[in-house]
Amino acid sequence: MGFPLDVPLHVKYIQSLGENKDDLVYHMTAHLRMNAVYWGLTALCVMKNKDALDREEMIDFVMSCYDEETGGFAPHPDHDPHLLPTLSAIQILTMQDALDRVNIPRVVKFILSLQQESGVFAGDQWGEIDTRFLYCAVNALSLLGHLHELDVEKTVGYITRCRNFDGGFGNREGAESHAAQVFVCVAALAILDRLEEVDQDTLAWWLSERQLPSGGLNGRPEKLEDVCYSFWVLSAMSILNKIPWINADKLTAFILSAQDPDHGGIADRPGDQPDVFHTLFGVAGLSLLGYPGLDDLDPVYCMPASLIEAKGLRKGWSALPRKISV
Amino acid sequence: MHGVKRVRYSREALAAQKERELAKLKEFQGLTAEVLDRKKRKDHGRESFDLTTRLLHVNPEFYTIWNYRRLILLDGVFPTSTPTQTNEILSDDLSLTTTLLKQHPKVYWIWNHRQWCLRQVPDGPTDTDPNGWRQSYWNKELFVVEKMLEVDPRNFHAWNYRRHVLDNMPVKRTELSELAYTKRKIEANFSNFSAWHQRSKVLTSLWSAGKLDKPKSIEEELDLVKNAMYTDPGDQSVWIYHRWLISLGDSKNVVDREILSIDELLDEQPDSKWCMESLVFYKRLLLRKYSESLTDEERWKLGSDCEGLLAKLQRVDPDRKQRYIDLSGHSV
Repeated sequence: MGFPLDVPLHVKYIQSLGENKDDLVYHMTAHLRMNAVYWGLTALCVMKNKDALDREEMIDFVMSCYDEETGGFAPHPDHDPHLLPTLSAIQILTMQDALDRVNIPRVVKFILSLQQESGVFAGDQWGEIDTRFLYCAVNALSLLGHLHELDVEKTVGYITRCRNFDGGFGNREGAESHAAQVFVCVAALAILDRLEEVDQDTLAWWLSERQLPSGGLNGRPEKLEDVCYSFWVLSAMSILNKIPWINADKLTAFILSAQDPDHGGIADRPGDQPDVFHTLFGVAGLSLLGYPGLDDLDPVYCMPASLIEAKGLRKGWSALPRKISV
Repeated sequence: MHGVKRVRYSREALAAQKERELAKLKEFQGLTAEVLDRKKRKDHGRESFDLTTRLLHVNPEFYTIWNYRRLILLDGVFPTSTPTQTNEILSDDLSLTTTLLKQHPKVYWIWNHRQWCLRQVPDGPTDTDPNGWRQSYWNKELFVVEKMLEVDPRNFHAWNYRRHVLDNMPVKRTELSELAYTKRKIEANFSNFSAWHQRSKVLTSLWSAGKLDKPKSIEEELDLVKNAMYTDPGDQSVWIYHRWLISLGDSKNVVDREILSIDELLDEQPDSKWCMESLVFYKRLLLRKYSESLTDEERWKLGSDCEGLLAKLQRVDPDRKQRYIDLSGHSV
């Protein structure tokens, strides 16, 4: 099946990302920096190389993005706070066992202040709504141990109103089903112990039909495959205990074929430029598929499974058994 | 980095590219530092506003700059402007987002800013016509979003925006005209699942408002779907929609008739996965829902048909083999 997963090369690739200071793309993507650190760190954890990035430096960066005024995190110093980087910050600090650096009640207050009357969350004070932001809120509140402060009925009510005729979920009421939005809605329902709101037969069918003859997965019917759906689709399938409903070997081969064999990293599809986003979601997919030598990833939180289990937050998902060799 | 090809450059080409990039990078960094510094100082003047325009042209994903731009407008510009001036500024900002959306149709922040602008339109042009400006903007929005959907009929940002416009325009369009729009999109391309989705929403709303007779309109939909099925039996959009229509109805006759019609199609396309997959679902639906009106022999026949189809599906669609095995072991 072509190249195996080149762990040392991908570790080197992730380490090199912070060194591209004269690279235009690096600066043009500053608004995603916090997310990128989370993507890199989680990928390293799955590849059992958590220490490849300096812990203190990382924690200092995260804290330099904290916004005293609102209690939220920005993606980069001097940028505005938002729920997306706030979840990434909480995930990073949890993985680095550094939540003691945070004023937890302030962050909780920031998150809860963004819930709307309808039950969905806005990303920030400017009011854009999306089920992604709802997931960010639920995940972060759970990691911070403050889920009891959330109005669960209101939150679940919004998710169920996003459910469509195909069993999937969209990014807001009325919106078309999309695999990434399916992940956020199903994972949020899993955290809230409300999976009975999912039409599991229809959704698992729709999810299994995301696999294309190339082995890769798409995010909606009649669209192209992309490595990132390896996680969006597989995470939802593993929460529904249905990963065996697709061809795992072909998906594994597809993800591996999107590696950059020269400089490391994984791309959206074979032959394209790699980036840290697809590197995480490729490696995450491989972990759920039981690829040998990787650590287990929790598909609900998209964080190391052992850590989530130690916090007593593990839900009833199942991945494929870890293989001994390729 | 979606869809950017990996290329191997020579050392010289790489160095030349780096050189060109360096100039751009210096400009971008200089501009960023300047704008963020003004933002920190809460400078809400015209010059800062113009700098955000420049920066957003270079990087429309820099959402902090969109936020700063709105702060400038709210705090530094609108309070000292007449309604006519405010309206002109918003008109310019809408044009800015149109230009940027043409280049970056999937950037959330541009769509957000457009919505924000529309919410800010003041009363006018006159006291007797306070909704005049608003109305003329909203009327243009449907046209704009239809243009976007012509370029990419699956752009979910554009579809979301379309629903936002339909919900918020001061003089509403009828849902029947939206139903006609989805039909046009579907007939242009049966694989446009986004249009099928929108159709499912519009129909549901029309049924619950009593504006369409549900059984009659389901029949019309089944006709439309049949057409699409025969055009391309391998297109899953149609089959997903068909399953939804059947699951809504409560007539055994309709299910029987659809099974017959799919059987005919299967005769023409003996390896059609979607025909077989759907037959299994509808036959099991009969067993589940109408068991009492079936004879023992009919029940046995339906069960054995399903087993046969599931066995064949394992061969024609081996990637999803385990699903067919699970379904076949599973009682209805």
